[in-house]
Parts: sequence; C-alpha cells; structure tokens
Amino acid sequence: MKAAAFDYARAGDLAEAVRLLGEGEGSAKLIAGGQSLGPMLNLRLVRVGLLVDIRRLEALRTVEEGEGTLRYGALITHSEFEDGRVPDAGNGLLRQVGGGIAYRAVRNRGTLGGSLAHADPAADWISAFTALDATLQIEGPAGRRSLPLAGGLLGAFTLDLGETEILTAVEVPRLGAGARWGWHKINRKTGEFADAIGVALLDEERGFCRVVCGAVEGPPVVLAAVAEALRAEGRQAGRALVPAAVAEALPALDPVGRHLHVVAVQRAIDQVFGR
Amino acid sequence: MKRTVPLALTVNGDPVEAQVEPRTHLADFLRGALGLTGTHLGCEHGVCGACTVMIDGQPARSCITFAAACDGAEVRTVEGFSDDPTMAALREAFSQHHGLQCGYCTPGMLISARDVVARLPGADEQRVRLEMSGNLCRCTGYMGIVAAVKQVAGQVAEGVLPPGLPTGASLAGLPRVVAGGVSAPPAAPAPERLAETPAESLLSEADASWQALAESFTVGHPPAEVWRLFEDVAAVAGCLPGAELSEVAGERLTGRLRVKFGPIRGAFEGEGRHRPDPAAQSGLLQGSGLDRNSGSRARGEARYRLEPAGAGTRVSVEVRYQLTGPLAQFGRSGLVRDFAGRLTAEFARNLSARLEGGAGAARPARELDAVSLTLSVIWSRIRRLFGG
Ligand SMILES: Cc1cc2nc3c(=O)[nH]c(=O)nc-3n(C[C@H](O)[C@H](O)[C@H](O)COP(=O)(O)OP(=O)(O)OC[C@H]3O[C@@H](n4cnc5c(N)ncnc54)[C@H](O)[C@@H]3O)c2cc1C
Ligand code: FES
Ligand code: FES
Repeated sequence: MKAAAFDYARAGDLAEAVRLLGEGEGSAKLIAGGQSLGPMLNLRLVRVGLLVDIRRLEALRTVEEGEGTLRYGALITHSEFEDGRVPDAGNGLLRQVGGGIAYRAVRNRGTLGGSLAHADPAADWISAFTALDATLQIEGPAGRRSLPLAGGLLGAFTLDLGETEILTAVEVPRLGAGARWGWHKINRKTGEFADAIGVALLDEERGFCRVVCGAVEGPPVVLAAVAEALRAEGRQAGRALVPAAVAEALPALDPVGRHLHVVAVQRAIDQVFGR
Repeated sequence: MKRTVPLALTVNGDPVEAQVEPRTHLADFLRGALGLTGTHLGCEHGVCGACTVMIDGQPARSCITFAAACDGAEVRTVEGFSDDPTMAALREAFSQHHGLQCGYCTPGMLISARDVVARLPGADEQRVRLEMSGNLCRCTGYMGIVAAVKQVAGQVAEGVLPPGLPTGASLAGLPRVVAGGVSAPPAAPAPERLAETPAESLLSEADASWQALAESFTVGHPPAEVWRLFEDVAAVAGCLPGAELSEVAGERLTGRLRVKFGPIRGAFEGEGRHRPDPAAQSGLLQGSGLDRNSGSRARGEARYRLEPAGAGTRVSVEVRYQLTGPLAQFGRSGLVRDFAGRLTAEFARNLSARLEGGAGAARPARELDAVSLTLSVIWSRIRRLFGG
C-alpha cells in the first residue's frame, strides 16, 4: 500500500525540529530512519500532517565519552553498533544486539533513538538499554531534561515523551573491563522481532548485576531478585529463581510463552558464566 | 493537496532533479519517474527485500525510504552495475547455480549479495544464509542463491574480484566520537505510574476466533453506589479514556472510541447495546465499530459484575473481541493485555474520582496514550462494554 499524503520538512537543527513539531499541533511527527514509521505509513496505520526529518542532524550522531559513561547520539544506526564504529559500553553487548536487529538493509537506516522512541516491546534496544540502566536525554520546547529509560517506558509503544520532544541521546554507565554479559533473543526467523529476550549483566567491579526479561507485553521486566541471587550466591541460585520470577512478573503468560521467557533468561545467565 | 518538495540526487551515477510528493517512496520514484523498473516491490513494508537498492553504498529498503529523504544521496539500482566486475560475477553465478526462477526477488538479491561479498569476503554458507535472510524468494528454495553468493564471496576473498563499493559510509558520515562530554542534567523523578490495580483472570479459555480478556479492580465505594453510576452509561463512558457517547436511546448506544498506540491513532465508530441487570448487579455491553482510516473493524462484548470487597466494590470485567482489517495485523495478544491493564487502571482511577464527587473524573475523552491497533480492539470492546 502507499502512504496517504503528508507534508515533509527537513530540520536544519534541533531547535528547528522542535519548532516544526510545535507548529504541527499534534499532527507532526519526527522521522529518523523511517524503518518503523515507513511501514506504518505505507500500511496507513499511521497518518501524519507533517513529517519532520531529523536524519541529517549531525548533533545527534555524536558519541560522547564521559568518565565511566558513554552517551550515544539518537541517530546512531543499528549497523554502526554492529560494525563497532562506536565504542561499546557493554563490552560487545551492543555490537551483538545491533547485529541481530532486522536485516542489514534495515539496520543501515534504523536508529537507536527511533527504536527507543517507538518502544515496541518486542524490539531489541529497549531490553538491552534497560539492562545497561540507560538515561535518555530529551530536548523540547521547555528545554532539556533527562529520563531514566526504566521509568520512562509506560507501556507497549509508549515512552514518556511529549509530542514536541525529541530524544537526542542515550547515556549509559560503561561496564567495567571484567564485566560479563549474556544476551539471548528467541525468534523464529533471523531478523524478526523477538518472541522472548533474556539479558544478564554482571559487573563485579562496580557491584552491578542486572537481569532483564524482554519482549514481553509491556516494558522489559527487571528481575531484581534473580540478579541479587546471582550476585550474592552465584549462577545456580540465580538460575533456579528464574521460573518463579518470570511467573510472578508476568502472570498472564501462557505456558509456552512463559517457557520461552524462562529459557531466554536462563541462557543469558549461562552466557555470563561461560556456559 | 500537500506540497511537493524538490529533490536532487544521483541515480546510477547520473544527477537527477525532480519535484516529488513527500509520500512517494524511493522505489516508486525510481520505477515511475525514472523508468528504472529493475527495482521490484513485494511487500512495501520492509520485510521481503525485493526493493533493496544501494543508498550511499549501503543496501536499504527503497519501499520504506521516502524519496524526499534521499536528497543529496547516491542511489544505485540493479541497473547501475554495468561497470562492476563483482556484480557481473554475481549475475553469472546466479545463472550458473540456478539462483533464480521467476526472477522477482533477483534484483534485491543481487544488491544484498553485492553488499555481503564486499563486507564479508570468504563468508561461509551459514553466514551467507544469515546475511541474505532479509531477502525472500518464493521459487528457488535458496540453495542456488546461497551457492552463488558463497562462490563470489570466495572469489573476493582470494583477490580475484574487487570488493569495490565503499562500505559503511552512511550519508551523514561516520558518527563522531568525542571525549569529555557535558554532564547530564539531573534525572527527573520517575513519572508517577497509574494506580496499581491487581488483575486476575476470570476466563479460563477463549474460543478460537475470539480473543478474551478479563480484568478486575476495586473501588472504595459500596456496590450500591457504584451500581448507580453504572446505570448512567454516559457517566461511565466518561471515565473511559478516549470514549465518547454520541447517543443513548434505551439499550442502544452510539459512539466512538479514540485510541492512540505509539504513532497509531484510530477512532472506532459504531453502535452497541447495554443491558444492565440491576438484580445481579451485572450487565452486558455489546458493540461493533469501524475505524474509517484503516478500514479495520472491531466487534466485542463485555460482561461486568460488581461484588462487595470489604467496604468497597470489586468490579470484574470479561471481554471478548475480534479485530479484522489492517489493524488486526498488529494484534499481539500480549500488547492488548498491557494496554487493557493500563486502560483499566485509568478507568478505575477516573471512576473512583467520579465517585468521590470531585472534578477528578474530568479527564474524560482524552485518549489513553497507548493503544495499538490491537489495543483499539480492546478499547472498543471495553468502551462498549462500559457504555461507549
Ligand atoms: C523488516 C523489519 C524488521 C525489523 N526487525 C526488528 C527487530 O528484530 N528488532 C528491533 O528492535 N527492531 C526491528 N525493526 C525496527 C527497526 O529497528 C527500526 O529501525 C526502529 O524500530 C525504528 O528506528 P527508526 O530510526 O527507523 O525510526 P522511525 O521509523 O523514523 O521512527 C519511529 C518512531 O519514533 C519516533 N522517533 C524517531 N526518532 C525520534 C527521536 N530522536 N526522538 C523522538 N521520537 C523519535 C518517530 O516519530 C516514530 O514515531 C524492524 C523493522 C523492519 C522494517
Ligand atoms: S517491497 Fe520493500 S521490502 Fe518488500
Ligand atoms: S526467483 Fe521467483 S521469487 Fe525468487
């Protein structure tokens, strides 16, 4: 299908993008890579009055290395993570995740910011960046603010972002050199959205351990009790808690769905400990 | 009529200038305006790969890339490789290995293959399969395609063929990595979440064609009081975000449910029936509605029941619904549950506020900011159910 008609403007800078969104009075939308919005416009699931193209905003393509942190511009593409063209705050995690999203032709245009703003529960970055404890940088008419990703995801497809706000960057603490991670995405065919995602991070240096159950019905679920057991008592203790933790966090899952999620999380944990 | 925008780009080495409608995707522009019909369209939503072209040296889907977004870009289609020995070798190898039958997928296959052999010379079969998985072929069964790509990737690795195309340079240039960095403004407090309401399942099974869902919540007012509110269908509808009743005639209701799910907005307009049973303090709402934008249709029914719970009332709702049309493609039941949970929470909050007699219920027809198509379904049924 073809998209319904809309107007198009390319923003010259961030301020102009914010202004254009404001002038659109709710009918304007940002487009970055267009890899989620494009299909929805073509299927006419989405109609917009004005598309504000931010893809050329250089300011959003920068990676800032801070002390113990990395801040990724919202326009970094999935394939730039995959190719290691940006430093990896997750000791290789982001490279692996980026390379497992969709297909190369989609990864070349799809952006980190677009994916997080779209907040599809089955998408990869929301789970990975929840595990890394990311904070989002947001620019809007009222200035700048930051928003922890974990609290900012309100539900499926819903990030706590105003219609005239722009996600500009994603800041994460850098994992220590000895930190280990596990990532397991279950999907039927390469490149598809996940049926289940498990992420586990263990950074003993920083005393940071997080286990995430993703591709669920809403925002990714942080399994705090599992992480605590992993950190304090080790692999088996953490692993053993997974079924109960998943069942408790996601009571509405059918048995097959629950099994998939349990397996994804357990395999991620196994990866942390080298299987 | 929306405005056209100027576009200047390079296609297969030649400069092209045109005025395009913003909604024109690159594939339509190439095929329609430039007559380059080698680029094929299959799904038009990014999945099949038939439309894959090179944009600035990288494969991309021309069906979900708007032409207007390619101003200044260097586009290369399957027609644009006559001077490229590596592409010539791929064409030859596809032919030799029976990598095509009808040929519909072939232009996209060749573009993706050209990228794979440049980026991953020497790729083995498994890697080739992984890398080519975004290009679907309904004819060949892939054996020949994989063999062809693997052979040419091997030749590139041996230095027999040049990788040629620049790889990795995206339009806006490589990302810049800078040291230092401004410190982040203090994180805002986490947003207040909707009231937590325990949800428990009342339905044990759903029949095949219908989706079923059950939710319950408690409000701090006795059943008799809550029931009075439930008899006022318009008041109840006012508590459901996005619902608007236009007419109530006895049992019959007419109205609309507006839904917003991420970027998707829908408005299901339709009719329903409300049959309250005061003796049992329960009722049935049924209805169906059409979203004119998408042509999607939702049908559903909801049974509700009030029961005393301590000093308050437990409101239980069982919903069955069916969504047909384009929006149904997005129907993942989990999303509906997530949405329904939030809808229920907001509904409960508005209902309690209304019962407190304050202006709290005065957040009436605002859409709850979170509904997928799928959700739309839910909405519609719930709204019917509660009176929209
Ligand atoms: C065939 C196919 C398969 C896919 N498979 C996967 C998969 O397996 N895993 C996965 O995670 N994803 C997958 N995707 C989605 C892909 O990752 C998208 O690139 C991503 O979801 C959106 O990024 P984008 O830059 O293209 O955003 P766009 O499509 O341009 O925008 C998406 C939404 O975010 C908003 N937006 C964009 N940028 C910003 C910003 N900076 N600030 C605020 N709002 C913004 C837009 O207004 C829009 O509502 C797939 C896509 C396709 C087509
Ligand atoms: S037509 Fe573009 S991916 Fe199918
Ligand atoms: S050759 Fe017919 S679809 Fe591939």
